[in-house]
Amino acid sequence: MKHLIPEFETLKARLPAGFESSLVLPCLRRIQEERGYVADGDIDGLVEYLGVPRIQIEEVLSFYTQLRRKPIGRWHLQVCRNVSCSMRGAEPILDHLARRLGVAPGQTTPDGRFTLSTVECLGSCGTAPVVMVNDAYHESVSRSELDALIERLP
Amino acid sequence: MPELFINGRPVRAEKNQTVMQAAVANGFAIPYFCWHPQLSVAGNCRMCVVEVEDEKNGNWTDIACNMPVSEGMRVLTDSPGVAAHRKAMLQLTLLNHPVDCGICDKAGECTLQDYHYRYNGSPSVSREAKVRTTKLYPLSERIVLDNERCILCSRCVRFTSEISGSHALGIEQRGDHSLVRAAEDGRFGSDPYSDNVVDLCPVGALLSRPFLHKARVWYLKWTPSVCPGCERGCTVKLWHRKPEWKLAALDPRQNLSIARVTPLENPAVNGPWICNKGRDLARIFERPRAEQAMLNGAPVDLPAAIAAARRLIGEAKRPVALLSSWGSNEELAAFKDALAGRFASFVKQDCRPEPGEPTEDHLLIRPDKNPNAAGARRLFGDAVASFQEGTDLVLVWGEGFDFDRLPTGAKVIFLDAYLRPENARADVFLPLSIQTERSGHYTNFQGVVSAFDACFPKPPSVADAESLFAALAARAEVRA
Amino acid sequence: MTGTKLLMAFPVTATSHMLADYRARGGYRALEKALTQMSPQEVTQEVIASGLQGRGGAAFPVGRKWAVVKLDDGQPHHLCCNADEGEPGTFKDRWILEHAPHLLLESMLIASYAIGVRHSFVYIRGEFDLPYRRLAEAVEEAYAAGYFGERILGTDFACDVFVYRGAGSYVCGEASGLITSIEGKRGYPRNRPPRLTVHGLYQRPTVVNNVETLANIAGIISQGAEAFRKVGTKTSPGTRLISISGHINRPGVYEVELGYPFAKFIREDCGGVLGGRALKAIIPGGVSTKVLTAADVEPLALDHAVLAEAGSSLGSGGMIVIAEGTCMVRLLQVILRFYHHESCGQCTPCRDGMGWLHGIIDRIAAGRGVPEDIERMQAISRANDGTTICGMGDAAGYATVAILDKFRDEFDYFIAHKRSRFDGHLEVAGHA
Repeated sequence: MKHLIPEFETLKARLPAGFESSLVLPCLRRIQEERGYVADGDIDGLVEYLGVPRIQIEEVLSFYTQLRRKPIGRWHLQVCRNVSCSMRGAEPILDHLARRLGVAPGQTTPDGRFTLSTVECLGSCGTAPVVMVNDAYHESVSRSELDALIERLP
Repeated sequence: MPELFINGRPVRAEKNQTVMQAAVANGFAIPYFCWHPQLSVAGNCRMCVVEVEDEKNGNWTDIACNMPVSEGMRVLTDSPGVAAHRKAMLQLTLLNHPVDCGICDKAGECTLQDYHYRYNGSPSVSREAKVRTTKLYPLSERIVLDNERCILCSRCVRFTSEISGSHALGIEQRGDHSLVRAAEDGRFGSDPYSDNVVDLCPVGALLSRPFLHKARVWYLKWTPSVCPGCERGCTVKLWHRKPEWKLAALDPRQNLSIARVTPLENPAVNGPWICNKGRDLARIFERPRAEQAMLNGAPVDLPAAIAAARRLIGEAKRPVALLSSWGSNEELAAFKDALAGRFASFVKQDCRPEPGEPTEDHLLIRPDKNPNAAGARRLFGDAVASFQEGTDLVLVWGEGFDFDRLPTGAKVIFLDAYLRPENARADVFLPLSIQTERSGHYTNFQGVVSAFDACFPKPPSVADAESLFAALAARAEVRA
Repeated sequence: MTGTKLLMAFPVTATSHMLADYRARGGYRALEKALTQMSPQEVTQEVIASGLQGRGGAAFPVGRKWAVVKLDDGQPHHLCCNADEGEPGTFKDRWILEHAPHLLLESMLIASYAIGVRHSFVYIRGEFDLPYRRLAEAVEEAYAAGYFGERILGTDFACDVFVYRGAGSYVCGEASGLITSIEGKRGYPRNRPPRLTVHGLYQRPTVVNNVETLANIAGIISQGAEAFRKVGTKTSPGTRLISISGHINRPGVYEVELGYPFAKFIREDCGGVLGGRALKAIIPGGVSTKVLTAADVEPLALDHAVLAEAGSSLGSGGMIVIAEGTCMVRLLQVILRFYHHESCGQCTPCRDGMGWLHGIIDRIAAGRGVPEDIERMQAISRANDGTTICGMGDAAGYATVAILDKFRDEFDYFIAHKRSRFDGHLEVAGHA
């Protein structure tokens, strides 16, 4: 992650003095953006750069659902299962995806293309059901739309 | 100084105290898991809830550990509401607890056990399967963790961040899948205070691996002692088998060994902590013992050896004494009375830091690895030992002296407790008792005097240095 | 028409979120007025006079919160805008972030001026990508135009904003959890005392306000507290953004003048219940608020005091409409699964209680419930009432108890017959 340090320095400059610890989340997000996950070496590098205890970074990585220490599929299909989405068909969507991809929630397809997950409320209840694919919300999504997406995505 | 009322009794508190602090200082028992007088307030166990009377708005309850005292407040620690709350908290705490007391070392000194019987006492009301997770998880070589027993009070985490400063422990994941874990770089293993988390843990989650499954705590009693590991002189509890629990089946020496060492709380010296070296005192005390007096390596009985030593002392023209900084104040005083007039006496450093041993830190560890250098120097000064021309007798008391440094031709009287090749090189070797076999006092580097008591009988063929010095002095002639 | 519009009073176009359009609508004039014509104390007084209540869930009087911060304490202060919006059913802050980010930024500048803040933060949930990009662009525009940085509008006022992205944790929407997350740690909420307005971010006095709460500030300053009070009701002035979803024909974000009739809103403005079904129940303000039956809702107005008296709350404004024929046992199962997943795990009642509740409802839903289960869930909810570090434990308990109270017969039926009284699905057939 050392090549990201100039970027991190820019971020640091925008924070008051003494806020180094606050950089943990933005730095981890940026590292994950590039690598797809946070590697052990990244943790070592970040500890050195920020001067925070290593345990803080390990705790943060395990607490937040969006941060991960292992790679996943190229396309992360995150199906919201919360109240409004469940009331507009989240379960059938989830079942459909699981059958179509041949994986259970939490698993990745053997070709590494898709990881299927369930998530809690994404803040898009008005356009339920919602599936978040990597960073993008697919709102009011239908089974056929998802099928087309699965075909289309590399 | 606000005055408040706890269970109707007026109590004077300090301005910035919490109700918990005021209660504890005045002898009220409020149950708690996560609170600790030396750690920051976490307020997560929710056991210490008390009820505060409020005629206008109705009584309210909240945790006492985070409740500031206020003038005139009326606190109830045992109201029906508080009792119901405690019972509910214990039900929840025990929800996923494995209740494997039968194989848990903490049984008999477990806060959860005690509180269950005192405040709950009912069987579980849950029909759900318990959350299962890691047991016997090695946090380090010295500490093993059972996450099923862990109640996530975070005392261990706070200890490593606030007291030992290693920041070695944390809590990973979240909810009821939270797990105490050690930093992956292994720094918990090099935290010289790691074992204090075993004392801190209110349940049997954090356990000492050296002590694991060695003894039930009710088989043991403790004797107050002073750790000889450095000049801090932390007071400790040496745990060993109660006489009525001595097992005939065991090797007799197991009945006379130190089962474990824990801190003896001491506000003036070490507070409630000790370092790991103090935990391993058995390693130091229970080295193979010298029990046989010798003359140039040939075994003799003790009176013969004493007589030979007395002769050497009487004949010497320039005797030098190297005195043990492990000697107790009593023993050192006895030497001073009996023999200091006869010898040029110097205090010796018995023990030096081992390679890799921490020398000094912000908490307890001190560079001088002997318990009574201060006590010895008070009596004998801090001059460095030197062998003047013509030194013909060296009395070496205690370990740590390199016999190759002896002046040529000098005779040696060596007094020590442990088996060593040097014992046979001495003209006279006198076997001594050790700290655990007698009582006495050490003076630490700050001048604080602490006491240790005997826990074991001494082997019959060894002598207490205190009486030995008197015996050596008897009929020792003073030469001009 | 749901009454006067204060926040959504402009047509949304491809550029309406951008600086030029915002300025054309009168944007940043409130900031100018505050900085050049009012003292910080006067700004706070105006907000107090407006009677503005928090729009994040607790409806706490906003000006009173600001007034706790002492301008002359010699310490740095912080303002954190809570854009975590994780309360299920809620998506109205997102509207502001996507369509009126400058309204939020201008309001944050005014608030920072009032409470002496040099470094302000927007904590935005990690999953919000488009809202984040819109906000980040708006921040860049605002800096370029000199609305942030040093000597703003030629005055001594200096202020910076940092948009801090979350990473997936509902509890980071709790004010103290949010602050601890900005400190770069797990989002563990904190015990009070001390209040965050005394010891917050890095122990400095900190005000945490919801997006919509702040979005109202610019209007209050430019039009005055009096004008604001003319909208809404006496005890709940202004408007609320209601995000409505579930079994409703026209879900979405609506700005509703407080005091507007509840039933009218559902039937007319939002098109009524899906599939022409009868209304069964409404969760009015996010799943942490108590459910109301159709009969409960009928006479009510959308107002904080009215909802409170009815035993519920407008909460986060996340309204979920439930049609006749929906299985409330399955609904509670989804809700408890959520709380169990999101519990931070710090304190005993919530950490162990959420898992327990979830375990019981799963067992009931699998046809293995027993009659004692209801009492047990009520007892666990009671054990979480007022005993936890943050409000999540209480909320889960209230949500559970309300559903059990109002729909007890469904739970009894499910336990006795080992299946739902209905088809067990949460969708309205034909509308999934």
